[in-house]
Amino acid sequence: MSHQPDEVNNEELRIGVYVCHCGSNIAGVIDPEEVVQFAEGLPDVVHATDTLYACADSGQRLIKEDIEKYKLNRVVVSACSVRMHEPTFRAAVSEAGLNPFLMEMANIREQCTWAHGHDREGALEKAKDLTASAVAKTRFLTSLDMIDVPVTQRALVIGGGVAGISASLDLAEQGIETILVEKEPTIGGVMAQLNKTFPTMDCSI
Amino acid sequence: MVDAARQPRIDVRTYTEVDKVEGFVGNFKVTLREKAKHVLADRCNGCGDCAKVCPIEVPNYFEINLAPRKAAYVPMSQSVPLIYNIDLDACIHCYKCVEACGPLEAIDFSQEDQLVRENIGAIVVATGFGHFDPSVMAEYGYGRFPNVITSMEMERLNNSAGPTSGNLIRPSDRKNPLKLAFINCVGSRDKRYIPSCSNFCCMYSIKNAVLLKQMNPAMDITIYYMDIRTPSKGYEEFYDRAREMGIHFIHGRPSLITEDETTHNLFIHSEDISLGRVIENEYDMIMLNQAAIPQPDQNHMSSVLNVAQSPGGWYMEYHPKLRPMDSPTDGIFFAGACQGPKDIPSSVAQGSAAAARASRILHSTRWEIEPTIAVVWPERCSAETRGRACGLCVKACPYGAVVIEGDKAAEIITAKCHGCGGCVAECPEDAITQLHYTDAQILAQMRALLADKPEEKILAFRCHWCSYGGADLAGTSHFEYTANERGIKVMCSARMDSDFIYEAYRLGAGGVLYSGCHPQDCHYITGQLIGAKRADRLKKIFDRMGMTDGRFRVEWISAAEGDKYARVLNEMQTVLDNMPPEALKEEIEKLQPDMEKRLKRFPGVPGVPEAMAYGDTLVRAIKEQKEPA
Repeated sequence: MSHQPDEVNNEELRIGVYVCHCGSNIAGVIDPEEVVQFAEGLPDVVHATDTLYACADSGQRLIKEDIEKYKLNRVVVSACSVRMHEPTFRAAVSEAGLNPFLMEMANIREQCTWAHGHDREGALEKAKDLTASAVAKTRFLTSLDMIDVPVTQRALVIGGGVAGISASLDLAEQGIETILVEKEPTIGGVMAQLNKTFPTMDCSI
Repeated sequence: MVDAARQPRIDVRTYTEVDKVEGFVGNFKVTLREKAKHVLADRCNGCGDCAKVCPIEVPNYFEINLAPRKAAYVPMSQSVPLIYNIDLDACIHCYKCVEACGPLEAIDFSQEDQLVRENIGAIVVATGFGHFDPSVMAEYGYGRFPNVITSMEMERLNNSAGPTSGNLIRPSDRKNPLKLAFINCVGSRDKRYIPSCSNFCCMYSIKNAVLLKQMNPAMDITIYYMDIRTPSKGYEEFYDRAREMGIHFIHGRPSLITEDETTHNLFIHSEDISLGRVIENEYDMIMLNQAAIPQPDQNHMSSVLNVAQSPGGWYMEYHPKLRPMDSPTDGIFFAGACQGPKDIPSSVAQGSAAAARASRILHSTRWEIEPTIAVVWPERCSAETRGRACGLCVKACPYGAVVIEGDKAAEIITAKCHGCGGCVAECPEDAITQLHYTDAQILAQMRALLADKPEEKILAFRCHWCSYGGADLAGTSHFEYTANERGIKVMCSARMDSDFIYEAYRLGAGGVLYSGCHPQDCHYITGQLIGAKRADRLKKIFDRMGMTDGRFRVEWISAAEGDKYARVLNEMQTVLDNMPPEALKEEIEKLQPDMEKRLKRFPGVPGVPEAMAYGDTLVRAIKEQKEPA
């Protein structure tokens, strides 16, 4: 796969939508089943279902099995923040043979039920729209490969206090060349200025 | 300290600062400024003869300025490495040091700062913390009353390597104090200064009290505290031991310190919450436990490293629970107090943890990065259509990843592109796209979000690193805001194309929020500046069009500003609520032709016509779902 723009996707789309309860984090505010019913009516959605915990082994297994069973080529997970579980679901679809970039999340927890507990109706409408938005994006998603870069096997530690010294020693003892930079003329930081330190009550240096 | 100097794979570079960090995970190019020591490190044997003959004395920062050092100096006798410095700001150029150094010839007055470039795979930031200056708290008299000192000053006075060789004296008369008090939370847990807890000061004052009491059991020592916080292993037991030793603990925050002008003895005025009354006690000397604050240069370092800061100025970790050692930038990690106040055991543990996180990368020969980079359609570039590339993409790129050679179309160097999308949005020919954030994808999302009752909706464009995180934090903190918000995530505000904003209003959006990182936090060096410039332009255009103020809003919201995200959205909702529905509808319709005019070129972008056609189908489907016939 090359990194070329390929805007128009002519393959037949088969989108699967998974609406997570997240226990009561989502389902305590909105009814995930209503989002599922809504998603079923969206273009190219061939399968939609709710799941108690999409991130749990059982939730991931469900998605993986469905990819096979319904021949899904796009997956939408309406659950939490991408900052929380995007890597989880990318890995899950990838294990089922789907390119990880063909999975899209809708954040219906942090950015919906958790923020709109005062307005359940509004939260439900928003959860539907966010799910539709993710479905819409998947319509134009293309397979992408991670970019592989070389690694310079050298570390830089900035700051020669107790944390920096600890990090430097651990890195160096693993065989990694480490530069330890300190702006003052001596390493040691605040720790070196202290008299004895708790709990051993011994010299800090 | 000595272990670090002895370890052959650690290259200790003291008196050195980080000037610039470029590149990306596995491939950082770091510019270090090795400040001139005017002493040749490979020749200096640390004998100190230069310092002995140096006639100049200046305060020594290491001794909290309680003792002098020479212009030729090491901060302390156990300095690592033991290499002397000549402080040219203090030096009078008598050159006695050169003479004293003799045949070693280690002193070199011609030395200048050296800029050194290093190739680095991963970075651990362990820049530590600073100390709150209690002289701003007039009620404690620090700086006015000689016998009110900070605990850090006490550390040096009670240290056998310190200026008094460990003989604790009070500054006013050099007598040994017998009745002492420590005051905790000086500047910390104080809404006027530092609202947060400094984490280690309870244990720190108990440790100092125990040390003093061991030295001289006749000492009468009292600790004034708001709460004693001893949550880690062995801490509570240590607190018990201190009480058993006869150290007094008074539950109350002193409101005032006064001084007897003749004896320079001090009086603490405080509430004793346990007794429920106001007390006044006399002491020979008082130690203030200053709040831990971010390093004075933390803002500067934050820009150099391109990492964000939490409220209070500490470095912001990627995720407080799941990735506490990671910065948002892949390959940069935090350890110790630079991320928030920490005691020694936690700082050591974090050093190890950060090393472990970094070594995942450093033990690999290859590392994977996200492919959400920019790609050019060469046939659309003005080099092809007009014979000359306009070069706006080159200007927009913070990384020099876009190159134009001769009369050829612009090209993106994959390894250099970080994927902010600035060039994509800036290209007047729509000749560049960003993988995973194409115009078609974003347009399709907009159609979904504005399918139903668009005039009630506030479309919020957020950057991945800051504002999206801010929105997450608003939710995590359960700060409630209007459920009419509809978010779209791009990687950087630089990607927020004017066409998206025009299209949002053409589709009838009630409000549009344009939000990204604060300029100093931008993940893409200057990406936010490109986004901000465009946002200013848009704001002016909409003002000229007569759009109601507040329907288009530009806000920079960090990942730590959940409260701000919620507030901004609620304020935008108020703007919409204050408009009669007919007036809003009328304004939307009135501005639509203007938006259309500005969108003339939009349908020409590859993928956009398909997204528009798809959008029509999608909107029909959504409406059918929401309002079944």
